[in-house]
Amino acid sequence: MPPQLLQSTRSRCPICNASIRAERLEEDGRVFLRQTCPKHGSCSALIWSGRSDYNSWIAGGDAGFSHEPSCPDNCGLCSDHLQETCCTLLEVTPRCNLSCTHCFADGGEGTDPGQEEIKIWINQLVKPGKTLLQLSGGEPTLRDDLPELVAYARVAGCAFVQLNSNGIRLAEDPQLAKNLASAGLSFVFMQFDGLDDQVYQALRGRPLLEVKKRAIDACAKAGLGLTLVPTLVPGVNLDQIGPILHYALSASPVVRGVHFQPLGQLGRRPEPTCEEDRLTLDELVYQIEEQTGGMIRADQLEPSHCNHPLCGFHGDFVVLPDCRLMPLSRRRSSDRGCCGGKTTADQNRAFITRRWQRPAEKIGCDCQSEPRSLDGFIERVQSHGFTVTAMAFQDRYNFDIERLRRCSLHIFDKNRFVPFCAHYIKRDKPS
Amino acid sequence: MICARCNKEMKPQKTDFTYLGHSFYADILRCPDCGQVYIPESIAKGRIAEVEMQLEDK
Repeated sequence: MPPQLLQSTRSRCPICNASIRAERLEEDGRVFLRQTCPKHGSCSALIWSGRSDYNSWIAGGDAGFSHEPSCPDNCGLCSDHLQETCCTLLEVTPRCNLSCTHCFADGGEGTDPGQEEIKIWINQLVKPGKTLLQLSGGEPTLRDDLPELVAYARVAGCAFVQLNSNGIRLAEDPQLAKNLASAGLSFVFMQFDGLDDQVYQALRGRPLLEVKKRAIDACAKAGLGLTLVPTLVPGVNLDQIGPILHYALSASPVVRGVHFQPLGQLGRRPEPTCEEDRLTLDELVYQIEEQTGGMIRADQLEPSHCNHPLCGFHGDFVVLPDCRLMPLSRRRSSDRGCCGGKTTADQNRAFITRRWQRPAEKIGCDCQSEPRSLDGFIERVQSHGFTVTAMAFQDRYNFDIERLRRCSLHIFDKNRFVPFCAHYIKRDKPS
Repeated sequence: MICARCNKEMKPQKTDFTYLGHSFYADILRCPDCGQVYIPESIAKGRIAEVEMQLEDK
């Protein structure tokens, strides 16, 4: 069967950055994004493996173009952008205490921005009572003034402050987690690539599993919730999907969920992997069901309603006292129509913060109340909510402007809100 | 509380609620004859609304 055209979209040539047309094409059940540059020819990236029905997954996801958009040249957000800011990411240091083989931010060396400069940025970005600020890097815990920055962000009006961290300093200095919690930190996103030190050796250059466990322990003692964030690299740790989920559940309620990030070809990376090796969202969903023995089912994971459906998914669960999972989310059929399934950035932020933040008053409860009773369910979902989410970042080789326009994760840079992938693609150099 | 239909005193009884495919129970005033229940505003706007929000969340 010749490739069948599913959707037309726009992209940028990965070599010369020219604005070009692109097509999503189905071939033998798999879907590719084919970019065609008049000067540099065509290239294709796998975006769907055919594990489930592509069309029902993306139903209503595309908006179409009435004119040729200028993305990402003019990012910040413009009238072509279709989603407001859900989460705002701020890089507070370029420095890092790891030297990973893959790093979209290409962190390592450099000079930190001054504390006063960061405070000015916070004042510029904050929408009081709304903002979810992600402090990122580099490795933000390398800043000794991080608790002061957290406290400042909260006083300035950020409703939530999230720390994106590799966990090393949290493990080395348990007082740090307590200081961050006291300063008003809401929750932690911690890199967690598997339950096997060979994975950390391959991706991070050193064994880190015990370090990660100590960081979780430090956060538990500080009353902070963590979400584990695996970077999934074909050939390295795809077999860790099930073990990570089982471990995360065993560490509930301190661990609030797992946020999978399939590797993108961004920033620092080895030689580009074969396009066939890309981990697609449908393959990840399939692997989650397979590797958990059906404990988490594919139909309990929904395509993103806040971003483009090809950018992520979420599943919502409660961990029951006997460690079984009570699923709350269920994939809706495509009868939502063209817009019934979309979620505003405010709705999405309310959801994720409710799940990812550990309610202080629940710490130390016996948490044994019957979850089928009205009161027991409310208590349990607050104390032991658990999310399984994923975000698939774009890169030069699968860049799709339909996806970019629905992005709700924005970097604050030079007084502008820039969609995450636009920011890092613009910073990236072709392989 | 008296049942408007049967004129019998309503008594707290374990009652099942179903919403979006999930079932929960709570003790609610119920008529021993016709089974009609009385859900006070405080529960409707309190615990029941909270459960709805948790289930609908996104």
